[in-house]
Amino acid sequence: MSGATEEAGSEILRVEGLTMRFGGLLAVDAVDFAVQRGSITALIGPNGAGKTTVFNCITGFYRPTGGRIRLRRADGSVAELQRLKDHSIARAGVARTFQNIRLFAGMTVLENLLIAQHLKLQKATGFGIGAMLGLSGYKAAEAEAIAKAVDWLRATNLLDRADDAAGALPYGAQRRLEIARAMCTGPALLCLDEPAAGLNPRESDDLAKLLAAIRDGTATASAPTSVLLIEHDMGIVMRISDQVVVLDHGRKIAEGPPATVRSDRHVIAAYLGEEEEA
Amino acid sequence: MTAPGKAGRLGAALLDAAKAMLVAFGLFVVMVGLRTDVSSSGALLLRTRWMDVALLCAAVFVLRLAMALWVRPRLPAAGSALLGTGLTRAGLLFGPALLAVALVLPFIPGIGRYELDLGILVLTYVMLGWGLNIVVGLAGLLDLGYVAFYAVGAYSYALLAQYFGLSFWICLPLAGILAAFWGVLLGFPVLRLRGDYLAIVTLAFGEIIRIVLLNWVSLTGGPNGISGIPRPTFFGLPFSMSGGPGTFAGFFGLEPSPSHRVIFLYYLILGLALLTNWVAIRIRRQPIGRAWEALREDEIACRALGINITNTKLTAFALGAMFAGFAGAFFATRQAFISPESFTFIESAIILAIVVLGGLGSQIGIAVAAIVMIGGFELFRDLDEYRMLVFGAAMVVIMVARPRGLVGSRAPSVLLGERRRIDASLVGEGRG
Repeated sequence: MSGATEEAGSEILRVEGLTMRFGGLLAVDAVDFAVQRGSITALIGPNGAGKTTVFNCITGFYRPTGGRIRLRRADGSVAELQRLKDHSIARAGVARTFQNIRLFAGMTVLENLLIAQHLKLQKATGFGIGAMLGLSGYKAAEAEAIAKAVDWLRATNLLDRADDAAGALPYGAQRRLEIARAMCTGPALLCLDEPAAGLNPRESDDLAKLLAAIRDGTATASAPTSVLLIEHDMGIVMRISDQVVVLDHGRKIAEGPPATVRSDRHVIAAYLGEEEEA
Repeated sequence: MTAPGKAGRLGAALLDAAKAMLVAFGLFVVMVGLRTDVSSSGALLLRTRWMDVALLCAAVFVLRLAMALWVRPRLPAAGSALLGTGLTRAGLLFGPALLAVALVLPFIPGIGRYELDLGILVLTYVMLGWGLNIVVGLAGLLDLGYVAFYAVGAYSYALLAQYFGLSFWICLPLAGILAAFWGVLLGFPVLRLRGDYLAIVTLAFGEIIRIVLLNWVSLTGGPNGISGIPRPTFFGLPFSMSGGPGTFAGFFGLEPSPSHRVIFLYYLILGLALLTNWVAIRIRRQPIGRAWEALREDEIACRALGINITNTKLTAFALGAMFAGFAGAFFATRQAFISPESFTFIESAIILAIVVLGGLGSQIGIAVAAIVMIGGFELFRDLDEYRMLVFGAAMVVIMVARPRGLVGSRAPSVLLGERRRIDASLVGEGRG
């Protein structure tokens, strides 16, 4: 596919000419791609291809040297992500997880999910003073937030661990909790950085099902959410992605449905090395 | 159990009992076996009681054997569980018990002026500890210049009272607001710094405030300080020895006594400390309190969740500073004299030591730590300069035995089901 021929309204994220330069190193060189609404898009490439850099630009952890990143929300409003600070990007509707899990280890699983709903809860407190005196509608807001958290705990099969410290969970459960936490922010686009890293085959299977359910909006009562993921596990990528973007040396070398990308000459060359030219 | 296992255990038990008997024999042979008596002729004579020694040793042997064979195998499980629940129950009662003692302290017989003054001092540090706990324990921001806000509060009250004649009850909130204002003012530039760098800058800020107070002679009196700060009134009724109708004693028809003011000051600081505690406990269960703790755990994850780091840190800094400001105003009115001498770095260090010793984030731990540190310091006054040594050694021992402070586990702010233990090793210490 090519983004230009698609109807603009069906795109949730459009990256145009994204360039990131660290001193003399050109990590990402004029990359264009789009994420369709209600799809799972995978960003793949060999080590050092610039996947995480693209990711950090989209989620605001880096400010790109050049290019535009536009997020089109469900109500039609457009956010120019390259201009926003990281916490404003999260507010604009982009949630992310981290390659090396970043949970609030000493806080309980439930507390982790409530912090994800901080903005909504904070608004309900009336600058903290109302809730302090127990006057405002904060109790109702908190009950609602807990209900949402419980929904996601059920969807990620963590409900019986709700009062345990997040750091005490097994590795696979921490991965799922991080996804649940990202989803509790109510994002339009969920960005996952290697969600299957370190999972066993069964956990990977469950993860694939969870991501499909998030895309379709069947995981909980929340709306369907588009997913952008970086992944090294090709089994998962090929099984669940609707669209695959391949990067190598900071450039996009292929884009399309998994079947097409798999047989692409450039992709095979990037992963397996090029045949020597005669 | 298999036969060899049983035989082995019996052998071990016999050996253990024999050893115990040997120790008992060693002790009893001189304590019981030999006895000096005065004979009828007045001379000393040695009487031996070998039979008693044999009986005692046999009893030790039998009891030790019985314990090793029947009691000990069942002991570990039951014993530790019993101890555990007992400690938890005692822990639950400890806070209210401490509060009850604090409430009735001035009326306990034998509590004189000295003890009350010490109580006021301890409570001041409890309050400062609880205030700093918001910054260090919850938000994980290492603040080495906390005493600066204490100084701002104290000088705010002293100067406002001196220049504008405002009463203590008006100045108290003003001192808090001014300290919070300075907290925000300092916070804006420095909260981008992290960990050690933040500690150094806050340390410098504490010194700057003190040096300004020392050198701005025309306003603050410099090293001479400010004296004659108005004492607090009981809602307009001064504590005066005249006993006239407009005074506290006169109004309530009491015999004028200097202890009235001390008791009033004691309850005043107790109230202020409890206010700090109440606010800290309530705010922990709120979004902002949770955001502080999340900030301590992982700043980057907070940013990814849409939490504005700078504002969140500033609120923690401002709130912590505000309580230091209240405590400062109280300090000024209690002493009636303040000078920059009272706001040196060692004060910051003591308050921080109380917070760290008590267990980062724990309210009751901090109260105990303040009592131990300030009270203990007074207790060992007779040791003169050696008390510093005792003190340092005690701190080293506590930090080795309990590296995460007296209360080493975190209480969750919200529960779905029943409470489970959160080990301190999981809880972040904050490097932001």
